[in-house]
Amino acid sequence: MTTARAAQPAVKQKQRRPMLRYILKRIAIVPISVFVLGSVSFFLTFLIPGDPAITILGDFATKEQIAHVNAQLGLDKPVLERYVSYWTNLLQGDLGTSFFTNEPVLSDLGKFLPNTIELVFFSLLFALALGMTIGVIGAYFARRLPDRIMSGITSVLQSVPDFFLALVGIYVFFFLLGWAPAPIGRLPITAGSADERPFLIFSSLFTGDWETLGMAVSHAALPVLALGLVYASYFAKTARGSMGTALTTPQVEFARACGLRERTVVYYAFAASRTTVITYVAILFGSLLGGAAIVERVFNWRGMGQWALDGVLKVDVPIIQGFVITAGLLTLTLFLLLDIVVLLLDPRVSYE
Amino acid sequence: MSDAAAIPKSPAAEVVTKIVNFARVSPGIVAGVAVLLFLLLASFLAPLPYDPVTPDPTSVLQPPSAQHIFGTDANGFDVFSRVVAAGRSDLPLALAGTLASLVIGLLVGLPLSVKSKWSEGFMRALDAFQSFPLIVLSVTIVSLTGNDIQNILYAIVIINGPRFIRLIRSEALAIREARFIEAAIATGARPRRVMFRHIMPNVIDVCLVQCSLTTANAVIVIAALNFLGIGVSPPTPTWGSMVQVGAQAISTGQWWIAIWPGVAIFIAIASLNMLANGIQRRVEGS
Repeated sequence: MTTARAAQPAVKQKQRRPMLRYILKRIAIVPISVFVLGSVSFFLTFLIPGDPAITILGDFATKEQIAHVNAQLGLDKPVLERYVSYWTNLLQGDLGTSFFTNEPVLSDLGKFLPNTIELVFFSLLFALALGMTIGVIGAYFARRLPDRIMSGITSVLQSVPDFFLALVGIYVFFFLLGWAPAPIGRLPITAGSADERPFLIFSSLFTGDWETLGMAVSHAALPVLALGLVYASYFAKTARGSMGTALTTPQVEFARACGLRERTVVYYAFAASRTTVITYVAILFGSLLGGAAIVERVFNWRGMGQWALDGVLKVDVPIIQGFVITAGLLTLTLFLLLDIVVLLLDPRVSYE
Repeated sequence: MSDAAAIPKSPAAEVVTKIVNFARVSPGIVAGVAVLLFLLLASFLAPLPYDPVTPDPTSVLQPPSAQHIFGTDANGFDVFSRVVAAGRSDLPLALAGTLASLVIGLLVGLPLSVKSKWSEGFMRALDAFQSFPLIVLSVTIVSLTGNDIQNILYAIVIINGPRFIRLIRSEALAIREARFIEAAIATGARPRRVMFRHIMPNVIDVCLVQCSLTTANAVIVIAALNFLGIGVSPPTPTWGSMVQVGAQAISTGQWWIAIWPGVAIFIAIASLNMLANGIQRRVEGS
């Protein structure tokens, strides 16, 4: 990770292109992380107690089913051999097939991951907008009435589980008011095969398919609201903290003394705290890839989280492994991008 | 206050005065503790109007009324009795998970505050571990190791243990620079004595803040896992599983089955957050 520290010109002159070196170094660690990740996902299967095949299939499984699962798990072979063949398959992009649906895990991922990315993208966008507003207002009016109201809102949002907020949303907006559609997926049942398209909202936006876009947005509204409201509290807390510090720095005093407009002053203070906010976006994006699972399930969103959760509950080992590897890879990539973006935005960060 | 000093008081009244004075300084702590104690006492001692684990098939999906103040669910369970009784399993489990996380945090975090290549490497590994969607990892581990309520404890520790380790280590690193540590070492205190006698008492106040945040998080984790049907053994009520039962009825308008246990979760978490804020303010103030 990067550490904020005063730049040291003496060291800088010795190394040429320190930023490039840093980025290359960060990329060089990636294979090691991937190796650890893959191994963890391999050894997860050792946690299953008793006879895995029976745990997976239940007590009423036939002999053939047990033999099939054992062969797929490779339990008839020594551990080392299994480990090697696991990596060979993995490096060829073969994540295995589900025990229960016999679908290749990779094609499942292709179907479900885009749904989750879309949901998480819009939820975070909403959370960011709302949370930043709450936090900045609170920091600007520090210790005055607006600050108290905003911190009250923050602690209420912080105390609600997202799945519970989702249920309240369904009751109020679907049952009482009838504004939102039934929580049965991304499109009404009548939409048919349009549901299969990945990135429904983005693709219908770019192809100008307004009817589908309208339906997709109305179905996305409640899950986005539920996740967005809960995660807005994180941004509100972060923004309140970092803006609170930024607004008391000498720069801000100086900017005010120069007679800059108040809005410009706040903007400068915001610019100083933007790296903290970006870091939070990346962390939350990573955790929401799986963390949205329960909300996805409540709305039958058919996202990666819901898919993984179903796999986990049925002890569908290839799905669990596929999810662990995918979520891990996405998180790794995200953090790599984050470090590079923070480096570009904040010259105080040292290249270590 | 001069009046209070003049009139001799019974010990009980003195305690009350002390609490009132404390509440003036830190209303958050007193309110948070009061609500928590109320929830705990209520779940263990409150008289229940109906048996929480025996359904009454003749009154199914009744809206709140004089007989069933929170209504009944699809199986004929009295929602009020179950909401109250669910605290018996949910709250102690959350506290136990927090305690386990704290102990792990102290046992791992304090030794890691000795700077070395090894401890840096461990922190890196912890970074990687924490960057993972931990709720799904914990669901995986709980469901792989068996559908048992005790296994939820592992989930809480997996999510919160690393947070304690990180916090305690960074606090201990700062305290290590203090002069009294130098003095302790100079008088010949062994590393272990320095760690547990001189450093540990100084990280406890920060740990208290983290403990109440962790308990709040544990309540959410328990509710989320129970909501998914993990660690639930049917008639025994838990808030998460009650919300799950209610979720099936909420689209048709029976709001009371899911809302009341949800409100219970909300109150528990809100009081813990209030407590955390209160302690935080005291720690910062001193």
